[in-house]
Amino acid sequence: MNNLIEFFKRAFHIIVLAVLLILSVAMLGKSLSFNEYRLARVVQGIVGPIQKAGSGMVHRFRLGPENEALVQQNIELMREKENMFIEKEDTILTEMSKPDSTNRKQVRLYDYTYAHVIFRTVDRAFNYMIVDKGSDDGITRDMAVLSPAGVAGVVTDISPNFATVRPILHPETRISAVVVPANQNGTVIWEDNDPEVAYLEAIPQHSEINIGDSVFTNGYSNIFPKGLLIGTVKEVQVGNNASFLTIKVKLATKYTDIYTVYLVENLFKSELDTLKAKFKDE
Amino acid sequence: MNNIIANILRFVLLLVVQITICQHISLFGYMSPALFLFALFLLPLEMPLSLQYIIGFATGFVVDAFAHTLGVSCFACTAMMFVRPYVVKFLNGSNNNNMYENIDRPVPGAKDFRWILFYTLILTFIYEILAVLLGTMTFKNFGHTMLVILGNTVFTVFVILCVEYIFHPRVKKE
Repeated sequence: MNNLIEFFKRAFHIIVLAVLLILSVAMLGKSLSFNEYRLARVVQGIVGPIQKAGSGMVHRFRLGPENEALVQQNIELMREKENMFIEKEDTILTEMSKPDSTNRKQVRLYDYTYAHVIFRTVDRAFNYMIVDKGSDDGITRDMAVLSPAGVAGVVTDISPNFATVRPILHPETRISAVVVPANQNGTVIWEDNDPEVAYLEAIPQHSEINIGDSVFTNGYSNIFPKGLLIGTVKEVQVGNNASFLTIKVKLATKYTDIYTVYLVENLFKSELDTLKAKFKDE
Repeated sequence: MNNIIANILRFVLLLVVQITICQHISLFGYMSPALFLFALFLLPLEMPLSLQYIIGFATGFVVDAFAHTLGVSCFACTAMMFVRPYVVKFLNGSNNNNMYENIDRPVPGAKDFRWILFYTLILTFIYEILAVLLGTMTFKNFGHTMLVILGNTVFTVFVILCVEYIFHPRVKKE
């Protein structure tokens, strides 16, 4: 008996070793098969939340690059929207070569790029923003500026690396707009020095405008593509001027926390401007 | 007593670093350091063997839990802890019968660089062979598996020696 105890004392570590190794192999075997194994689940239940918290923290540092990727993806998608194109009649030649197709073709009218706002004011009478791209990046005057939520402004001045944007929050801003579902065209202006509210002018009094109606761009300006959200109707009043309504519009763009903006270029801008200039001269 | 607290703190710290950082490193796509082995290397050699095995197993289990490889590191760490006294004996020379002679801990102050290097290298290599082979569970594409084993070993030894000589900057007196 004493011998036995003595033996166990000496061989104790060997027994421990054997037990631990067998345990490891058992775990190994089970974790290689299906995830039915209880222990794996229990461990995952404990470790999972810790890892999730950890990866959340790591994720924060990666938000920058991820945002850039998402912005790129957004641009790719926005470029394919219907309001980016105009339809034209195709040449007779392509119609003959591809008998199935109609002789309409889509011509790209607008193109997108993006920039980041590096400076902006919202509390002045004449507000402006500066973005981190300029003429070297292909930015030109009169490009439309959009925030993720909707219309933000127009590029008014450019330097090689930066551009000045006149937001809606500027007394000289005029954006031709359409209010839906009444389908009345008007002009959005800004008067009250309130960074959240603008006015929609020139809507006839007989039109039925409800609070919450959406105000979109109508594409007349050749700066903004058709169908971009400007804001929603906040208040409708019968103004002093008998023939028009006074409509307050809550702007979609939050100027207080604007960072990434999309810039829209009209590819036929010079052509259209030439036509318009002729019209003015007469 | 101080020694115990220092060891526990070292284990916690190295495991946290292993789980948060080292586990996510993969240099050239396959080299990732197993820095937590350092804590096992520095365990006092005169500790009861069964306790050493259990500590090895537990450490491996924590690493496994976070790497979703239950059993792999457990096995490799336990086996490595089993081999450790024999490696020490081998490095001390066969003529030395008392294998724990003159050893407080296997650290730079007590041993010269060559001893530390081979001690780290051999034990890391044993761990990596077991861990990588058990992790892949196949002898297919053995060249690549071998490359992973060697890469991990070299990287781990490098990192451990750096850490070791940064935190134990005592030069051997002679």
